[in-house]
Amino acid sequence: MTSTLPAVTTSKVPAQRTPAPKTGSTRRTRPSRLRASRPDLVLCAVLLVAVMTVQGWNIADYPALSDDEGTYLAQAWAVQQGEGLAHYTYWYDHPPLGWIQIALLTWIPSLISPESMTVGPMRIVMLLVGAASAVLVYVLSRRLSLPRWAAGLAMLLFGLSPLSVVLQREIFLDNIAVMWTLLAFCLAASPSRHLWHHFAAGIAAAAAVLTKETMLVVLPALMVTMWRHSHRDTRKFALTGAVTACVLIGLSYPLFALLKGELLPGAGHVSLWDGLVYQMTRPGSGFILDPGSGSHGVLRSWLYYDRVLPLGGLAGALLLLVTRRRSVTAKALAGPALTVAILALVAMRPTGYLPAMYVIQALPFLAIVLAAGAASVTHAVLRVRGGRGAEKEYVTRARYAVLALLVAASAAYVVPRWYDGDRTAVTADANAPYRAASRWLATEVEHPEDTRVLVDDALWLDLVHAGYRPGLGAIWFYKADLDPAVTRTMPRGWRDLDYVVASPTVRRDAVDLPNVRRAMEHSTPVATFGEGEDRIEIRRIDSTAGTAHTSTGGNR
Amino acid sequence: MLTSVFIAAVSLALFWMAAFTLWWQMHAWRTPEVLASTRFGRPDGGEQLSFSLLLPARHEQAVLDHTIQRLLESGHDDFEIIVIVGHDDPDTAEVARSAEARDPRVRVVVDTHERKNKPRAMNTALPHCRGDVVGVFDAEDQVHPELLAHVDHAFRSTGADVVQGGVQLINFHSSWYSLRNCLEYFFWFRSRLHLHAQKGFIPLGGNTVFVRTAVLREAGGWDPDCLAEDCDLGVRLSSVGKKVVVAYDSDMVTREETPGSLMSLLKQRTRWNQGFLQVYRKKDWKQLPGFGQRLLARYTLMTPYLQAVSGVIIPLNVAVALFLDVPVGIAFITFLPAVTAFVTFVFELVGLHDFGKQYGLRVRFVHYLKLVAGGPFYQVLLAGAAVRAVWREQRGRRDWELTSHVGAHLTEVTREDVPA
Repeated sequence: MTSTLPAVTTSKVPAQRTPAPKTGSTRRTRPSRLRASRPDLVLCAVLLVAVMTVQGWNIADYPALSDDEGTYLAQAWAVQQGEGLAHYTYWYDHPPLGWIQIALLTWIPSLISPESMTVGPMRIVMLLVGAASAVLVYVLSRRLSLPRWAAGLAMLLFGLSPLSVVLQREIFLDNIAVMWTLLAFCLAASPSRHLWHHFAAGIAAAAAVLTKETMLVVLPALMVTMWRHSHRDTRKFALTGAVTACVLIGLSYPLFALLKGELLPGAGHVSLWDGLVYQMTRPGSGFILDPGSGSHGVLRSWLYYDRVLPLGGLAGALLLLVTRRRSVTAKALAGPALTVAILALVAMRPTGYLPAMYVIQALPFLAIVLAAGAASVTHAVLRVRGGRGAEKEYVTRARYAVLALLVAASAAYVVPRWYDGDRTAVTADANAPYRAASRWLATEVEHPEDTRVLVDDALWLDLVHAGYRPGLGAIWFYKADLDPAVTRTMPRGWRDLDYVVASPTVRRDAVDLPNVRRAMEHSTPVATFGEGEDRIEIRRIDSTAGTAHTSTGGNR
Repeated sequence: MLTSVFIAAVSLALFWMAAFTLWWQMHAWRTPEVLASTRFGRPDGGEQLSFSLLLPARHEQAVLDHTIQRLLESGHDDFEIIVIVGHDDPDTAEVARSAEARDPRVRVVVDTHERKNKPRAMNTALPHCRGDVVGVFDAEDQVHPELLAHVDHAFRSTGADVVQGGVQLINFHSSWYSLRNCLEYFFWFRSRLHLHAQKGFIPLGGNTVFVRTAVLREAGGWDPDCLAEDCDLGVRLSSVGKKVVVAYDSDMVTREETPGSLMSLLKQRTRWNQGFLQVYRKKDWKQLPGFGQRLLARYTLMTPYLQAVSGVIIPLNVAVALFLDVPVGIAFITFLPAVTAFVTFVFELVGLHDFGKQYGLRVRFVHYLKLVAGGPFYQVLLAGAAVRAVWREQRGRRDWELTSHVGAHLTEVTREDVPA
C-alpha cells in the first residue's frame, strides 16, 4: 500500500489521488471518466438520436390515449393552476411527486400554449424522460464494467423494443420513477465511490419511490449494487448514509399527510392510511401463468409487442444469477439481475394486482442483463480455452464463425419483428376517434359552461380547454359514483347530467358504477367516432323522464 | 406571511450551516482514496531531522516522570526534551531535575513570568531549542515511540513547515459526556483537520504539533495573551502560506483523557471558545488569499456561537412547524435543519462504531444509546460554554482557567487575571 500525505496548505492543491487499498474487487475495464471518453460520448449520442427519433415520431397518435395518462396530466394541470395536488380531493392514491414533476416538465409548454396541455401533445415531455433514462442505461452499463458495445446494445434494447416504445411514450409515473431508479443505480455504482454519491443514490431512490411507490421492491437490489461498489474502509459510512437519506426523504410523504392532518383515518377526510389500505387490498388479477386470469392477459399484451426483451431479459437474469460465482460479468451485474428477479417474483404473486405498466420498471434492467448475457456468451465463445499454449488459427477462425452465426441468427429473429412493431409505432394513428370526439364536444355543444359531461380522464383536459367547468362540468366519469363531493351535486342522479362520452374505458368500468351505468342506459348516441370495440360514442342523456335540463352545478 | 418568510429564511440558513458542517466532518470518508491519504507515510528509515520536544508542566509532578520516560523510549536518534517548569512550582521542578540528571537528552527550563500560561512557558523555552523541529506535548500525554520517525519522514517527503499528528481522547466509557467528547476528537483529528489542511486554513491542535524551528522563530513564537495559542499559531502560519500537513494513524495518535468533571469540561470549552473569538478578532486570517479560505476561516472561528444558536433554534423550528398554522410548504422547510441534524446523528453512531474498531475498544449497545440520549444535553453544554465565553470576553476576563491537572492549586491560578 502506498500512501502519502496529501493534505497540504499551499493554496490550490487538488486532493491527491492515493490508490486505495484493493480488496479483491471485480473491476475489469472501468472507464476512468465516462464524460471524458470520446468514443463513449459519440456512441451514446448516436444511439440517443436513433432512439429519440423512433420514440418521438408520431408520439401523439400512437398508442391509444390511456385513462391513466389523463389522470396524471390533469393532476399536473391542477398543480400548475395552484389548485393543490388534484382538482378533485387528493386521496393518497399515489404519492404526488410524480405529477408534480410532470407539472414542472410541462410548465413552459403550457405557458406558451395553454390549450396544448392535453394528453396527446404533452406526451412530448416523456421524450425527455425517455432520453434521460436511455443515457442512464448506457452509463450504468459502463459503470457495471460492460464493454462499450454491450452498453450500446443495452441502450438500443431499452430504447427500441416495441414494448418500450409503446410504454415509454405514455405519460406514466412509472417512466419517471424508472429514471430516478436508474440514477440511483448509477450513483450507487459511482467509480469514485464517493460518500456523497452514495448519499445522493439514497435520495434518488427515495424520489423514485415517491414517484411510484412500487419502486420500493427494487431497493434491496440497489443496496446490493452499493455494497458491491463501495470500499471496505468507507462502506459503513456510505451505506448508512444512503439508507438514512432514503428514509428521511421517504418520510416526507407521511410528514406531509401529518401536517395536513390526514395521516390517520377519521370522519370527513381522506387519509394516507386509507390510501394504503386501498392499494394493498386491490382485488388481485390472478396468477400470471393461469391462462384465464387478468394477469395472464396483461402478460400476453406485453408479449404481443415484444418477446425478445421480456423473455430474453429474464433468461439473461437467470443466467447471470446462476453463474455469479464464476463469471466476472455476472458478479458485476448482480444488482440489475436481482432487480429483474425480484420484479419477476412479485409479478408471480397469485393474489396480486398486476397493472399493465408494471413491466415498465423492469425494462431497463431487462435490457442491461440481456446485453450482459450477450457479452458473457461472446466472451465464452471467443476467449474461454480448453488447453494451454497458443491456439491454432483454425480454432480462432471457428470461434469467430460461431459468433458471426449467433449474431446473424439473433438479428434475423429480432430485426423483422421489431421493424414491424416500431413501424406501427411511427405510422399508426390510434387517436383519431379521440381527437374527433374532442372537436365535436368543443364545437357542437352550445353552452359548454353550463353542460355536465361524464368523460374519461384522457379527454378531460380537452373539455376543460373547450370551456367546460373543470370538476363538476367536465366530470371524471367514476367520480359520479365514488366522490361524495361530486355526487352531492347530483341529487337526481344521472338526470342531472347532459352527456356521457362512452370510450372503451367508460364502457368497461360502467358495469360497477351505478350512476354511470344508468347514464349509459338512459342516453342515445348523437355522434360516434371509430368502429367496433375502440369506438367513442357521445351519448346525450335523455332526461325527459324528469325535469328538463337544469344543471344545478353546485359549488366546488 | 412575514412570519412564514422569516421562518423559512432562518430554517434555510440553519440547514446550509449544518449541511456544510456535516460535509466537512465527513471529509476523510468521502472516498477510499481520501481516507488512505490521511495516514502517515511509512518511514523510509533515513532520519535526518533533529527534534526539540517541549513539555510544559505545571503542578504535574504525579504524571511528568512517566511521560518523560515514555518520550525517551522513542525510536528516533536525534531529539531533546525540554521540560518547562515554573519558578513557583518546586514539586514539578524536582521531578524534572531528577530526569535531567538521569538522561542528557532531558533539559529543564524555568519560566519566571509573573503570570503563567502555556504560550509564555513555551516562548521561554524557544530560544533554548537546538533541534530543526520544535514539537509540543502535554505533561500527561502518552506518545507512541514510532511517532517521531513518522513525523521526520512526513517533513522530508512533503516539504512541510508544520506537521500535526493525531490526538485522541480514549476514555469514552467514563461518562456520557466523555463519550461525546471522544467522538468530537475523533471526527476532528480523523477527518475535519485534513480538510482544513487541504483548504489552506488550519487551527492547529494543542499538542503533537511539530513546527520547523526557523519558521516558529520567524513567526515570533506563540501569542502569550491568546487563550487558544495553538489555534492562533496555525491560523497565523497558514495565513502566510506555510505548508501544513496533517496525518492520522490510530496506532500513532497521542492518547489523552477527557476532563475529569463536567465543570472542567465546561471551563476548557469556554477557554477554547474565547480563544477562537480572540483569534477571530486578531484578523490574521484576513491575509488568506482566497475568498473561500477566508469564508472557511470566518465560519470555523465562529462555529461555537453558531452551534449555540442552532442548538436552540432547531427544536424551536420544529415546534413552530407542528403547532403554528403555517403553509405546508413552509412547514416542510422548517424540518430541513432537523433532517441534517438527524443525518449528523446517524453518522456519529457509525463514527462511534468505527472508533471502536480503530482502537480495538468494545463499544456496547448502551454506549450508542448514551450517544443519542446525550446529544441534546451536550448541545446545551456547548451552548453554555459559548455564552460563557462571550460574556467573559466582553468583561475582559482573559485569564487561563486551567482545569484538570491543576488540582488543589486551581484557585490560585484562576486569580491571575490579565489586565484588560
